Amino acid sequence: MTRRAAVRALAHYLPARVLTNDEIAAQSGLWSPSEIEAKLGVRERRLAGDGESASDLAAEALRRLFDKAGVAASDVDWLVCVTQSPDYLLPTTACLLQHRLGLPKTAGALDVNLGCSGFVYGLGLAKGLIETGQASALALVTVDTYSKYLHPEDWSTRTLFGDAAAAALVVAEDGERDRIGPFVWGTDGDGAELLILRRGGAKRWTPSADAEPAGRGACLHMDGPGIFAFSLREVPKACEAMLKRAGRTIGDVDLFVFHQANRYMLEHLRKRLGIPEEKFVVHMATVGNTTSSSIPIALEAAEDDGRLRRGMTVMLVGFGVGLSWAAALIEW
Amino acid sequence: MTKNEFLREIETVVEAAPGSLTGEESLAKLPGWDSMAAIGFIAMVDSRLGVVVNPADLAACKTVADLVALAGDRVQD
Repeated sequence: MTRRAAVRALAHYLPARVLTNDEIAAQSGLWSPSEIEAKLGVRERRLAGDGESASDLAAEALRRLFDKAGVAASDVDWLVCVTQSPDYLLPTTACLLQHRLGLPKTAGALDVNLGCSGFVYGLGLAKGLIETGQASALALVTVDTYSKYLHPEDWSTRTLFGDAAAAALVVAEDGERDRIGPFVWGTDGDGAELLILRRGGAKRWTPSADAEPAGRGACLHMDGPGIFAFSLREVPKACEAMLKRAGRTIGDVDLFVFHQANRYMLEHLRKRLGIPEEKFVVHMATVGNTTSSSIPIALEAAEDDGRLRRGMTVMLVGFGVGLSWAAALIEW
Repeated sequence: MTKNEFLREIETVVEAAPGSLTGEESLAKLPGWDSMAAIGFIAMVDSRLGVVVNPADLAACKTVADLVALAGDRVQD
């Protein structure tokens, strides 16, 4: 028997404030509520409240995870926090969470600055730490509050993104087969400008905030067509490389859970790859695009509605800001 | 695909009346041309012609004829 990393449980937390298509339609005057849902597949999304930050959302997702998995915070020996909206540039959000949740001081903790590909990267790190004996029970939390970065009148992003946190408990188990992996990785920093937040980093840092970009330039910039074209170029190639590496075919995979970018893109990718509709999870109508949390939230929803069952082979594909992408097979 | 067939596909993307586009239209003045239509155009070219349009080239297009030109020799007169 070999030490294997496996996902034992998933949980998530959504902030209370709901932004509906009715509100967006009334404020923007651009589309009807049904047009927004038809184009994006999103009916409503959740927004963090004033003063509510990534560590608040992540802490609640982690508490729910520990309850669900029946573990105590003291049992967790590693914490990986995937976020692009940390409470502070420093210290690391994972360190704040270690203290807040009462994880042991002997635990390792770090943040991963990735968006829509981040959950799959987090699983890769978890597998490495667990299977080399460095961790036994790793909490992987994904969290973003992109809503704070959005310009009030940028309807292309405000219709799409929702705030959320999700958490997965990855544990060591004895087994003959890989439960997580293999992986395919991808990075292309040439597309950095397609999805970027210029404010807040150290590149233009001065003691005065005056040197920071202001107005729309201070907000998240998304080139939707550019991101779409990138996804069409890279996601099918990553899926094919994944299947080749694993020696499998599309028909061998029981369920496909892609980053929930928008329904239009997901549907196009599904058809392009020849994936049957019943094997392809779309779960974004009530949450929107929750960046790194979209895959674990969709996985949990599929488990809750019975589509995801233990023993199934599942393909996960994350892709977006960076540009960064990753695919993995997991045995649930 | 012929140029006329391609124009009909673009009409579907921008939700214009069938047969209404000639190629001379300015994208800036075309009511249905926005970022979602640009995404729809990329999806249509990928589905129908099997090629992913370079989004920088797409952003440089000024007219419907420029969109047709992006398809190169995959679209014939």
